[in-house]
Amino acid sequence: MRGRGASTKVMAAGTALEPLSADSAEDIAAQEFARIVESHRPQIFRFLLASLRDVDLAETLTQECFLKAHRNWSHFRGDSSAMTWLMRIAINLQKDHWRNRRMQFWRQTRTNAVDLDEASEWLPNGERSAEQQMLAKEQVAQVWQAVKGLSERQRTVFLLRYVEERELSEIAAVTGLSEGTVKAHLSRALGRVRAELRGTR
Amino acid sequence: MNWEQDVAGESPELEQALKHFKSSVDAWSDAAYSRPRTAAKLVVRHSRRMVAGWALGCVVVMGSLAGAVGVVVHRQEMARIAAQKAAEQRAAAAQGTTQPASVQPVSAQSDKKTPAATDRKVGVGAQDSARSQDEDLLASVDSDVSRQVPTAMEPLAQLMDDNGTQ
Repeated sequence: MRGRGASTKVMAAGTALEPLSADSAEDIAAQEFARIVESHRPQIFRFLLASLRDVDLAETLTQECFLKAHRNWSHFRGDSSAMTWLMRIAINLQKDHWRNRRMQFWRQTRTNAVDLDEASEWLPNGERSAEQQMLAKEQVAQVWQAVKGLSERQRTVFLLRYVEERELSEIAAVTGLSEGTVKAHLSRALGRVRAELRGTR
Repeated sequence: MNWEQDVAGESPELEQALKHFKSSVDAWSDAAYSRPRTAAKLVVRHSRRMVAGWALGCVVVMGSLAGAVGVVVHRQEMARIAAQKAAEQRAAAAQGTTQPASVQPVSAQSDKKTPAATDRKVGVGAQDSARSQDEDLLASVDSDVSRQVPTAMEPLAQLMDDNGTQ
């Protein structure tokens, strides 16, 4: 992988002195794609991990997502941001995965999803007392429990909003839903979380 | 619009829980993302699983093939035994029908005083009596087994008669 300096040099050469050759255009595209992979990969992985609760599967689907993106990189016109485009690919891959698991249960789509207690164990070591840590873990477990009970679409919308911190318009673009539908899904998902926190699910 | 505005004015517990949830997912994701990859181990595990699957499949296929072959061989053996028995029975039956003729000379031999013509007469008489016995036996079986079959229109005619009388 070449650095960004090389990319700007090629660009400068292309724009100022002579027209870009096919090779240098490909080089630029490859460098641009490498930069996008580097910057967006952790977010795609995090979203898939939260959706699937399976580290190995999240890694595999992240790889597939970027492989698919690389194959179609020449068709990406930049109508939406690269992140939106990648997230849409990731969501489609995830849908395909669930569909495969439902329809073709004999295929090797065994899940290694961790249980909710294990997922709730993860908390940053802040300046909190042991009691606060316990409380935080309990709350996280309750939210996981609520997320588990959400439909696939509600879960996607919920995670994009409250983990990935995406704007409503961006979520609508990623999921192909209207903003109103996104709000409705969020409202239902929040209702579930509230109920779980109150213990009245 | 920030997501915190979604829950603004609601219970602080909800906001706090969502914050904790996000930080928990972040921590988990960071840890999982930066962990050493175990691709080689996974490949080995997958290939082992695949080998085990193929071996199991082969065993099942071989077992079912062996079972099918066993069944075919067993049937052939049974058919051979049945054919052998049938042949033996046929041979015994044939022997049974020819026995009076073959036995006769022995009895004739035992009685050395009777002349040859008398022997022949006795043999023919014995054959005739055996044949008539067989015919009698067949006739009695026929009379036991068979019964009179009504003619094609007889039940209908009988029905008509019954209706007429009524």
